[in-house]
Amino acid sequence: MDNTSLYAKLLKNPWSYTTGAIILGMANITMLSITGSAWGVTTPFSYWGAWFYQILGGQPDTWFYFSQKTHAAAITAGFWNNGHSVSNIGIIFGAFLATLLASQFKIKKIKSKKQIFGAILGGLLMGYGARIAFGCNIGALFSGTASMSLHGWVFMLFIFIGAIIGSKLLTKYFI
Amino acid sequence: MSEYTLDCLGEICPVPLIKTQKKLAALNKNDILIVSIDHSCAMKNIPEWARKEGHNVEIEEINDGEWEIYIEK
Amino acid sequence: MNQSLSSLAAARRNHKTKHNQLPWGIVVLAAIIGIAFFLFANVPQAAIMWAFGIIIGFTLQRSRFCFTASMRDPVLTGSTSLTKAVLLAIGVASIGFAYIQHSAAVSGLPIPGNISPVGPNTAIGAAMFGIGMVIAGGCASGTLMRVGEGFLIQIITLIFFIIGSLWGAHDFGWWTANIIPKTKIFLPTLIGWIPALVIQFGFLIGLYVLANKYGKRSDKI
Repeated sequence: MDNTSLYAKLLKNPWSYTTGAIILGMANITMLSITGSAWGVTTPFSYWGAWFYQILGGQPDTWFYFSQKTHAAAITAGFWNNGHSVSNIGIIFGAFLATLLASQFKIKKIKSKKQIFGAILGGLLMGYGARIAFGCNIGALFSGTASMSLHGWVFMLFIFIGAIIGSKLLTKYFI
Repeated sequence: MSEYTLDCLGEICPVPLIKTQKKLAALNKNDILIVSIDHSCAMKNIPEWARKEGHNVEIEEINDGEWEIYIEK
Repeated sequence: MNQSLSSLAAARRNHKTKHNQLPWGIVVLAAIIGIAFFLFANVPQAAIMWAFGIIIGFTLQRSRFCFTASMRDPVLTGSTSLTKAVLLAIGVASIGFAYIQHSAAVSGLPIPGNISPVGPNTAIGAAMFGIGMVIAGGCASGTLMRVGEGFLIQIITLIFFIIGSLWGAHDFGWWTANIIPKTKIFLPTLIGWIPALVIQFGFLIGLYVLANKYGKRSDKI
């Protein structure tokens, strides 16, 4: 395949980070203006967890978190009425589509126990951390900072400190 | 001038880049390092880093979602 | 010298057993469009969010955008390309957000955007998140994107991300009672619109310049 063809440029070779940044910035603005809420990713994870827990017979709706107005309404309304739940699934499919159109899809098997340990510990830390900090890299760092909310800027400083600690742990225990 | 290989298949970011940096540091000038990867971010960040360091770099997609990166120290 | 690398690459190229996945891509694209129409007929709002998700996921994958790397790479590998990209994305969004927020403010409507309480909880939660994303190799958006790319390990990350979120939600009452302040701080309300905008873009540009310098410095090491 010719490396300079339109197909190669658009669908095969990686776009520049700058292109990505501008599209993501514009997408977030459009989302805020159309739907009234900025992009977020992790709040739906708490709803997904609650729905699974309800299937298992738990009653998360009695917790303080799910008795707050927006969260209570969201878990009653269900998956398809929660905008960010739907956009999360869209992200998976959008990435899947991009990989297939580039003909670069491959199921990547798990390589080691260290990876599994990192995934479990990292997943738990991120899930818990995002709840108490009111957002993740998207809801707090990207949308929070862009909303001129002080919590976004504080989040930026401390996630960087977290990343320094995480990098030390990674090079020591996970490579 | 010799040829070395580094298997990073199945490794997730940033492990392939760190392994490449370590391995390359141990090689002699004009040696060639072949890094195998299947992490789509590594096919961008390894060449980017190596070119910034001033090395010659070639990248070849050898299978769907699998690349080999050739770096000449 | 570049010649030898090119010929090496060319020699390897002949060995590849390449399958073309493009037809599958078109099938998936058709399915995505079909789902969009189905959603639009039933829950219109969901169709819009579906479209946003697809565009964002596509963009994240195509540009290899990674919020985790923006924080981690300066520490681990000396690269600041993604740090600069994230600052740019925040800057672009800030312009539109400020316009939308200012319009709401002058009409006396509640200020839109993600404005949340700030306190020790922000510092602790963000640090936990920062550690987690580095050892898991991806944050929330990154994990979703990599599930789409076929990483089995990120499915485990996602499962435990959800469990961690439920755990955080479970303890949220305690955090609210003991740690989380009531105050949400929206900079323009605190110091006025003009100073807030000056600080906002001043910090973003300052950090960008700093990242740019640091990125150039590290390639000499």
